[in-house]
Amino acid sequence: MSISFTPSAYYRPDSLREAVALLSNLRGKARLIAGGTDLLVMKPSGVDALIDVGVLNLNYIKKKEGTICIGAATTVDLVENSPLLAGWPYQVLPEAAKSMATPTIRNMATIGGNVCNGSPAADLCLALMALDASVSLVAPKGGRTLPLKDFHVGVNRTVLAEDELLAEVLIPKSAGGASFLKLRRHQTAVDIAVVNVSTRLNCVNGRCVDARIVLGAVAEKQICAQKAQGLLLNQIVDPGVIQKAAEQAAEEARPIDDIRASASYRKRMVAVLVRRSLELSAGRCRA
Amino acid sequence: MTEIPIRICVNGEWRDLTVKPYERLVDSLRERLGMTGTKVGCGEGECGACTVNIDGKAVLSCLTLAAQADGKQIKTIEGLRKGAELHPIQKAFVEEGAAQCGFCTPGMIMTAEAMLGQDPNPSEENVRKTLANNLCRCTGYDKPVKAILKAARELRGANHE
Repeated sequence: MSISFTPSAYYRPDSLREAVALLSNLRGKARLIAGGTDLLVMKPSGVDALIDVGVLNLNYIKKKEGTICIGAATTVDLVENSPLLAGWPYQVLPEAAKSMATPTIRNMATIGGNVCNGSPAADLCLALMALDASVSLVAPKGGRTLPLKDFHVGVNRTVLAEDELLAEVLIPKSAGGASFLKLRRHQTAVDIAVVNVSTRLNCVNGRCVDARIVLGAVAEKQICAQKAQGLLLNQIVDPGVIQKAAEQAAEEARPIDDIRASASYRKRMVAVLVRRSLELSAGRCRA
Repeated sequence: MTEIPIRICVNGEWRDLTVKPYERLVDSLRERLGMTGTKVGCGEGECGACTVNIDGKAVLSCLTLAAQADGKQIKTIEGLRKGAELHPIQKAFVEEGAAQCGFCTPGMIMTAEAMLGQDPNPSEENVRKTLANNLCRCTGYDKPVKAILKAARELRGANHE
């Protein structure tokens, strides 16, 4: 274990109010801990205190007036198996969850951790963005809710203030078919995506009335391919339209070269994955 | 430095410990309780040698803080056998030759124990998927997979009696 990761205090608040008061008092020197599968691997330096979210009662998936509410400390294995998420388009979230890491890690990792860690390759974030999810944040002065697409500002960076915590992920009533696809190297199941995409299509009589194309691991955060979405709107969703949208999505990707793949390979794979994902979404829309 | 008092139930026995804020559960088990069956491999959640079961689920004790386990039921490899008799999964590992150097074995067996608790009749594919977090550099995976399927049959039979 890194010698720099030696926080000297550990808190286990049993209310959100107490948790954010602690964050506020500790002024950026505290880190929240949930599943630990990112924090205890990263072991960041300069952490004086840990705040365990384990007894804040944030482990739930429930439905409130058509909105699906998922507590931030809900583990990924529960997301995989929730009956509230069975059926399209919501099932795209379990689909993404099942592709994440390994069953053992999914028993520990939480949806809030996946969102707050802010990896551009975070699988759950893609599916959540395809479902137009928003996040509910709590601070000592009160709460705010914002669209997930506005939550990340860069690699591992979010809009969270130092005294603010993510309490809940909200999925509005949604329609259509959706899909999540991920390309990764197969040497090890724990590796993150080279490219991942999630799409949602809602069609009426074959004509697209709503489209989402979300791209992962090809920019500093998950991005919506806006122009590609525009190419689908009001069109009859046929193979030609899908191909054009997929190529446009690749244009909107702005990947980098890294140890997993080159930027040019990633761009080409965006086109392939988006095409396949749109085909699946269209099929599930009809189903 | 705050020392944190915790109470954890390890293999059916409640234990009171005082731990550091950043102390990993695997270190409490090995160094404070002398239970060295649980191994430390990579320390980063990749190899699964440190797998234990908490409240019936397989988790990595190198990525779990001891303080997070406060109040929880923990099962380790030491808790499986009954007296002198090995657990059916342990027995099947011996019979199938599923251990070579043995370092990954406790983690594999604890992963299997949690899996069979949830799914007494897993397909071979599911066994392989569930073992994705347990790396073996000796025998590979065929023998452990065979052993787990054999133990599953044995356990199902025992439950029918």
